[in-house]
Amino acid sequence: MKLRLVAPTALIDINGITELGYIRQESGMIAVGALTRHDQLAQEIIIQEKCPLLAEAASVIADQQVRNRGTIGGSLAHADPTADLPTACVALNASIITMNESESRSLTSSDFFRDFFNTALKEDEIIREVRIPIPPPKSGGAYAKLAKGHNDFALAAVASQISLGSDDLCKAINVVLGGIDSKPIHATETEKLLVGQTIDERLIRDVSLKAGDGLTPNPDFRATSELKLKMVRTLTEKTLRTAISRARGGI
Amino acid sequence: MEVSETAKEIEIKVDVNGKQYRQRVPSRMLLVDFLRDKLELTGTHIGCDTGHCGACTVMLNDVTVKSCLLLAAQANNSKILTIEGVSADGKLHQLQEAFLEHQGLQCGYCTPGMILSSLFLLKRNPAPSDDEIKRAIDGNLCRCTGYLGIVKAVKAAASRMGRGSPNQ
Repeated sequence: MKLRLVAPTALIDINGITELGYIRQESGMIAVGALTRHDQLAQEIIIQEKCPLLAEAASVIADQQVRNRGTIGGSLAHADPTADLPTACVALNASIITMNESESRSLTSSDFFRDFFNTALKEDEIIREVRIPIPPPKSGGAYAKLAKGHNDFALAAVASQISLGSDDLCKAINVVLGGIDSKPIHATETEKLLVGQTIDERLIRDVSLKAGDGLTPNPDFRATSELKLKMVRTLTEKTLRTAISRARGGI
Repeated sequence: MEVSETAKEIEIKVDVNGKQYRQRVPSRMLLVDFLRDKLELTGTHIGCDTGHCGACTVMLNDVTVKSCLLLAAQANNSKILTIEGVSADGKLHQLQEAFLEHQGLQCGYCTPGMILSSLFLLKRNPAPSDDEIKRAIDGNLCRCTGYLGIVKAVKAAASRMGRGSPNQ
């Protein structure tokens, strides 16, 4: 509203539904209530331990005052392609639980985000909860973004989440790019080259060069398309290195 | 919260600096305008009015927020601390004294927000490093000091408050 993107005739403040602010560990997943503040996500030990990339993404959102007030539900529903939490949620295979007066729906975060500021939310729905599957043992993730300053939205961001099998080969991998397209997108070429492989320093460098292949990032007044692609490669390398070391050595 | 028929005005009840207020406010009124124009607490400043500068920072239920990004109606039933509530009995808070001593201000426009952001930091982290202080005041712009005096002041206050009584 401050940016005059919308001018609603009526506004309902859901901050009064205080029971929607929670972080709970349930069977095989972490349930995060829609009204959970960014600051709570960044500070919560379960999040830091089980999905550090989410804590990292939350901790680099804007500034302390905004993190004290902004919510995960608000960020996801707003669906700014350069925001931090949408990219992080896609990388963690999170589900988004919506509700209206009579029913509740569960959507994968990939299905939830549709376009710039556009989601699968219906007019009468709100987000109720975000469910993050707890990554199996030998998993690790990392989030990094490049912005004009701490306070700014990402020029480019990468969230990498990796799971290793008992044989130490890469069992599952998500490399998700933010700020590049109209919604968070997978670096599919990079992911393909990593699955089933032993990940070493050389492979990390090689596959990072493929991140963003075939993509033409939206240029804006802060960065050209070429610069964004370069940043994506660098950030992919950086997050993969951290993710793999976390997967191997504990967090 | 009682909403009038046209919803053009909303009655709110707030605790500001320990004082109770019950007032009818236009539903579109920002919290910062309520504090400044209705309660005449003009220590909370308006710098940019778009959520960037942090001059309007206040504490809402013990956490810092930008009062230009909230409607007054959203503060209903809340406890607010503004810069006027930081000093007590005409005596400056130790953090304010440190800002004076270490030249943590020049024109003073950003100072109320800086003080509240620093207070929030010190509550959470009584002995912050320079980097932690810089991150904590990320959301507060200062166009005079170059920030060095502010970082020094917060550090000095931390060590002084660590020694003295917890609140003052």
